[in-house]
Amino acid sequence: MTEKFFGKAVKRVEDPRFITGAGNYTDDIVLHNMTYAAMVRSPYAHAKINSIDASAALALPGVLAVLTGKDLVAAGINPIPPGWLLPDLKISAHHAIQPDKVTHVGNIVAAVIAETRAIAEDAAALVDVDYEMLPAVALGSTALAEGAPQVHELAPGNVAFKWEIGDSAAVDAEFAHAFKTVEVKLRNQRLVPNAIEPRSSLADYKRAGDEYTLYTTSQNPHIHRVMLGAFIMGIPEHKLRIVSPDVGGGFGSKIFQYPEEVIVLFASKKLNRPVKWTATRSESFVSDAQGRDHETVAEMCVDADHKVLALRVKTIANLGAYLTTFAPAVPTYLYGTLMNGTYKWKAIHCHVTGTYTNTVGVDAYRGAGRPEATYVLERIMSRMALELGVDPLEFRRKNFIQPDEFPYQTPVALQYDSGNYEPAMDKAMAMLDYAGLRAKQAEGRKNGKYIGIGVSTYLEACGLAPSALVGSLGAQAGQWESALVRVSATGKVEVLTGSHSHGQGHETAFAQVVADELQIPMEDVSIVHGDTARLPHGWGTYGSRSAPVGLSAIKMASDKINDKAKKIAAHLLEASVDDIVHEDGKYQVKGVPEKSKSFFDIALMAHLAHNYPADLEPGLEATHFYDPKNFVYPFGTHLAVVEVDANTGHIQLIRYVCVDDCGPIINPLIVEGQVHGGVAQGMGQALLENTVYDDNGQLTSGSYLEYTMPRADNMVQLEIGHTVTPSPHNPLGVKGIGEAGTISSTAAIANAVIDALEPFGVKHLDMPYTPEKVWRAISASLPQAADD
Amino acid sequence: MYTSEFTYHKASSVSDALAQLASNPDAKLLAGGHSLIPTMKLRLASPSALIDVSSLPELRGIRTEGDTIIIGAMTTHRELEFSKVPLLSEVARLIGDPMVRNKGTIGGALAHADPSADYPAAILALNAKIKIQSSSGARVVTADEFFQGMFTTALAPGEMLVEIHVPASVKGAAYEKFAHPASRYAVAGVAVVVHSDGSLRAAVTGAGDHAMRLTKLESEGVSSACKGLVSASDLMGDHFASAEYRAHLVDVMASKALARAK
Amino acid sequence: MLLEGSHFIHSPPSRVFALLNDPDVLSRCVPGVKSLVLDGTDSYKAQVEVAIGPVKGKFDGKIAITEKVQDQSMTLKVEFKSPVGIANALGTLKLEPENDGTTVHWAGEPQLMGMIASVGARLIGGVAKVQADLFFSKLELEAQKVES
Repeated sequence: MTEKFFGKAVKRVEDPRFITGAGNYTDDIVLHNMTYAAMVRSPYAHAKINSIDASAALALPGVLAVLTGKDLVAAGINPIPPGWLLPDLKISAHHAIQPDKVTHVGNIVAAVIAETRAIAEDAAALVDVDYEMLPAVALGSTALAEGAPQVHELAPGNVAFKWEIGDSAAVDAEFAHAFKTVEVKLRNQRLVPNAIEPRSSLADYKRAGDEYTLYTTSQNPHIHRVMLGAFIMGIPEHKLRIVSPDVGGGFGSKIFQYPEEVIVLFASKKLNRPVKWTATRSESFVSDAQGRDHETVAEMCVDADHKVLALRVKTIANLGAYLTTFAPAVPTYLYGTLMNGTYKWKAIHCHVTGTYTNTVGVDAYRGAGRPEATYVLERIMSRMALELGVDPLEFRRKNFIQPDEFPYQTPVALQYDSGNYEPAMDKAMAMLDYAGLRAKQAEGRKNGKYIGIGVSTYLEACGLAPSALVGSLGAQAGQWESALVRVSATGKVEVLTGSHSHGQGHETAFAQVVADELQIPMEDVSIVHGDTARLPHGWGTYGSRSAPVGLSAIKMASDKINDKAKKIAAHLLEASVDDIVHEDGKYQVKGVPEKSKSFFDIALMAHLAHNYPADLEPGLEATHFYDPKNFVYPFGTHLAVVEVDANTGHIQLIRYVCVDDCGPIINPLIVEGQVHGGVAQGMGQALLENTVYDDNGQLTSGSYLEYTMPRADNMVQLEIGHTVTPSPHNPLGVKGIGEAGTISSTAAIANAVIDALEPFGVKHLDMPYTPEKVWRAISASLPQAADD
Repeated sequence: MYTSEFTYHKASSVSDALAQLASNPDAKLLAGGHSLIPTMKLRLASPSALIDVSSLPELRGIRTEGDTIIIGAMTTHRELEFSKVPLLSEVARLIGDPMVRNKGTIGGALAHADPSADYPAAILALNAKIKIQSSSGARVVTADEFFQGMFTTALAPGEMLVEIHVPASVKGAAYEKFAHPASRYAVAGVAVVVHSDGSLRAAVTGAGDHAMRLTKLESEGVSSACKGLVSASDLMGDHFASAEYRAHLVDVMASKALARAK
Repeated sequence: MLLEGSHFIHSPPSRVFALLNDPDVLSRCVPGVKSLVLDGTDSYKAQVEVAIGPVKGKFDGKIAITEKVQDQSMTLKVEFKSPVGIANALGTLKLEPENDGTTVHWAGEPQLMGMIASVGARLIGGVAKVQADLFFSKLELEAQKVES
């Protein structure tokens, strides 16, 4: 009986190279004759560029060129377009180097290319830019207010788009006869992604073939190839190779097409030498796309039986100064469509205004719209429970969609294919001993010990995406995925996948599945990703799509291999194809195990074609392009427990129970890792992280001295459980888990903090729950601290 | 980022270091480097030369002479953490992380006098003395005289901190710090020492523009209720913590420190 | 963030006002000044070196007196640029006669931009106070000089 790998906690095969410093990251790559780029970035949030004097920089020995925005425009380089279009979307020109105006701190105004990185940095400091400062605006609601500074002329009132989903009239009708209504005003604060590897790009132009290679930290090299080749630089795709080698984390920030990639390609062609750029962490803070930044007013109502009736949401989504690749989709189709959650609403309406401000662009960041939606939904549900005087978990239980109600059509477009929410919640409650802890909480409150229990019974939609559906909503890309399974003459397998691994462990998890499908050892399988010269076209990794979509393509391609193998086996064994079974690592005649061929035998004969079916092509490789029929819908219940130090306002996470349903689990170690990381990031938003722009658009939290990253002593050992409800529409039944931790945890921890502060009369407080904010809420006689 | 260009000199002795400082007013002494070098990498500081004194044997070591412990300026936080020096061993453990503690030195930290550094509160509470060397000789100043303002100490140009003298024994000592969750510097750090003669000395760091004595607490003595020990108007605020909140934290930290020290 | 303070100068408001409008006096009082020259009416060009601990920045900039009421108040607009960032400020000085001298109330909103804004924001309050203290203690010395 061959060993089954699906479900096994196999240690990750990529880890040895990562933890011994043997990874191959973009900045590690050294090419002959390589030069270095340093970017001159605006210190102003909003300013006209009057002139640029590069003479001092050019005079420095070792400086090869100084590029300005005008140079790129003159060479016909187009601005970077967004990859998702909404009706009446106001698109500002996002030039790789700004020719006339800067609209955020960190905007590139010139690029210096030099022999060494040190010289490039010295020269960048010598480029003299004459700016004329203009008034700036950083907060979304301020940008929409009368008299606010205009960020872009083509977007009057700083409105980039207005979007809505749902039925406003139906919502109004429900509110009109509701038993109880609550309103919450919520701030989902802006976050900086902070992948451990800063962005890096290395362009290598070869004049002899007029060919370009770009090594870059990307989650999706093919998207970069299409955008750079066809839309921005006019390079024929077949002459443009994008390689995304080992990448140290992305969390969404490495999806997008960035200016620096355009600049190094342009410079490499100009100099006919490789050009490398690597961000410093200070640069990352003012150039990597940021996350979240919503201001929301939400209202909900219930009937006398405490059944939810309607939800009304109005959100201002701060998009920053430019629309990056997925920016228009994140606060709209990845947000409003999630407002149903796990509940049975009669009506929902969600309206979003996307606004420009003088800040870095905002786009997908772990969860991309779904954490924002879950925060609104789970906060208002707990707020309503408080208002009704009922237990927040029982309130939710009463309103869950029942297992026999799937497929379930929500009032916000999505149709859920499957779900079973109560068992997950019951399991989490048992793991926590919810009733016991509530009793301890009550006892503690009598003695000045304040703990809080918060819940999030989340659902998310991932496994992006059915291509026709997202195309109809404005996506400028397909969202299927490709797989090419190639068997060598001696039975070794390479799997070329359009999914990219930048922390997800695909080299392990994918190999586990292929090894099972082909019934061969895991060591005989290698997973190849990241190089457009080797792979069929793919759409990359984000939106928790690699398992539901990427692996589905791999499974289908593996099935094709097996079908062909059976035909070859039938020929070699002189049997009918219908009598061949694939068992114990052999293709054998049913009932006659001694009449069998090994995978090696099949592979070899496929290559020799000496004794071979006349109507079958030689070779043993198969490709499959898989377009999912629907999203997948992971769900679960997270319970967070915090303790408040009433003296200082400090919040400490003391327990965290999560029960997630991501369908069948391929590798429990990898799934646990995703949950740990996701929860840590969600905790970071709830308790620690805050991107602070002052009134001049200056980022004052621009280093790790100010921007608080989660550390080991902020976390607690997670108590992890699972339920398994397979997706009915993909071959393995798998759902995504990469983002679920973040989607759920921010809301659960927020609810826990508000619950802890209930004895002090606190009904709502905005994140992050910094000590002073909490202390002031407790000492309610003092005015609220204003911090943004 | 890379630093601007500088020349690096490894000093051969204290007098060599002082001579180099005198000949180049734009030079800076390099101790553990963990405050200086990040500043240089951001190009907020660009000294033309660094004079490395971190391994000078005459600046290292902790020894006892009578009822005084003499700490060499280049003693690392790690060495102090594992020593028996009253209060300072407890404070050192709270600085940075193990890697920072392996390199950072008490002399460097005191000379730098960051308003949120931990040692200054302890140094004041211990009534320590600081020995300063210049090319014309040595002088000893009290801790009170040493900390003068934001990043400002009694060190004049061309002078070097060489030793810290603290009492070998005290009746009780404690340091309680409310740390900034990002930098882990003190938002309010209170050191309380009950000296052998029964006197109480207390100081706070992190809340104002330099470490200062908590004179109200000292006059109230060990039975102090630790309320309203400092006025918010004497403190600094930033977007993490206002002056008012810091004033409250001073009371809370002082109360905890006093409870352990007495 | 609004920063404010006050200093007592042992001289009547008319003398203090005169000193504050004298470029030679200012060139001796502005902390770290390397050069300060008149550049039009009530406008100065200046080069200043600011040192806070190890941080040293050479700032080039302008100081403009935008409003003045004789012997009573002044509004200043300050714009300084350096490789480490930009420091602008709008400030007011109000002169109040008190006993045998003048209490100068200063208030300002500093705007930091660039590197010093992203890593130095926590220090701005203290730095401004230090600079103000230095300025006014030097102004006091100037006020003590025998009137010519």
